[in-house]
Amino acid sequence: MSSIARAIGRTLFVTAMIWGMGTSAWPHHAAAPVFDLNTEKTVTGVVKQVDWTNPHIWVWVDVQNASGPVETWGFEGMSPNFLARRGWTRTSLLPGMRITVTFRPLRDGKAGGMFITGKLDDGKVLTSAS
Amino acid sequence: MKHATHIVLLVVTAVTISVAAQDWTSKPPTAADWAAVGKLPDLTGVWESPTVGRGGRGPAAAPPPVPQLTPAYAAKKRDLDARNPDDTEAANCLPTGMPAIMGHPYPYEFLLTPGKVTIVTEAYQQVRHIYTDGRPLPADPDPTFNGSSIGRWEGDTLVVETIGFSPLTTIVRNTPHSDKMRVVERFRLTAPDTMSVETTVIDAEALTTPWTTTRTLARHREWTIREYICEENNRNFLDAQGKAGVKLTLPAKKE
Repeated sequence: MSSIARAIGRTLFVTAMIWGMGTSAWPHHAAAPVFDLNTEKTVTGVVKQVDWTNPHIWVWVDVQNASGPVETWGFEGMSPNFLARRGWTRTSLLPGMRITVTFRPLRDGKAGGMFITGKLDDGKVLTSAS
Repeated sequence: MKHATHIVLLVVTAVTISVAAQDWTSKPPTAADWAAVGKLPDLTGVWESPTVGRGGRGPAAAPPPVPQLTPAYAAKKRDLDARNPDDTEAANCLPTGMPAIMGHPYPYEFLLTPGKVTIVTEAYQQVRHIYTDGRPLPADPDPTFNGSSIGRWEGDTLVVETIGFSPLTTIVRNTPHSDKMRVVERFRLTAPDTMSVETTVIDAEALTTPWTTTRTLARHREWTIREYICEENNRNFLDAQGKAGVKLTLPAKKE
């Protein structure tokens, strides 16, 4: 936790907010039925594609599995509308960037989740939600 | 003679129908009308809730009062709760309608023009049309998501009255309204860039007492309203069984 806090402290893009866990005001869909909001995981890979789209951005990351094949993970972030007002641009994340994504996993166990933060090689941390 | 009476009746009927369909004809605004807009409390600009404008994860405010339901509507809510859907149709991009439209964690732009206040709602790209030109509420409006609204100024407060809501909208989740629902909103500046929005839902069939909540909006002069096409890349869904999910298939990127 403290390493995450330190990383956040270094960044340009952090929006320092204390966020509760309420989901009732989520504008588009309830997060809790889909994502495990009580679990936080990380995965490292290379950005394959960024969908800078409504109602959510999607960040697709190629992850090299220990067993061999590359698996593409999908992460749902907030909307471009929300993020553009809080420091992100559509080129904040680009294909080819190495990224460590902290996320709340999909409840069905598939390769994806809710994007919380993405740490880039240069130390920048992009925050979407907590 | 009988024939002539029929013609008169037909003409009278046609005129009555055309008046009912038009209800009200706007007058062209004069320079004085525009000048009068400049003397109104300045509600213009882009506003967002400082508490919910955090992607739905804002610091929790005091829990709002819960609507008090009549026995018949309490039973309806129990039935809907028992079905226990994971989510609402908003997951499939259906807008929430009134009154929930005013609780989004997305901004609203208020526009004041002669005889009208327009609220541009970024989420789901919606518009509320509030007529302040003295017209009455329509007698029998078609039910719509945002209803039919008129407004008037009481001192510094814009008082908006809305009726005629689609049965697809709810008072709150799993809580239907009757066709008698009326919503009264009071918009008032409490500081230069702070607006209080008091919302009262009145529905004698569904509620034992009017249900009032108050929201605060903060003005962002540096913001503009952005496009929000929910269908652009909606990977969330709620299926017919009430199960929510996410479509994870990655199609080839469209160039």
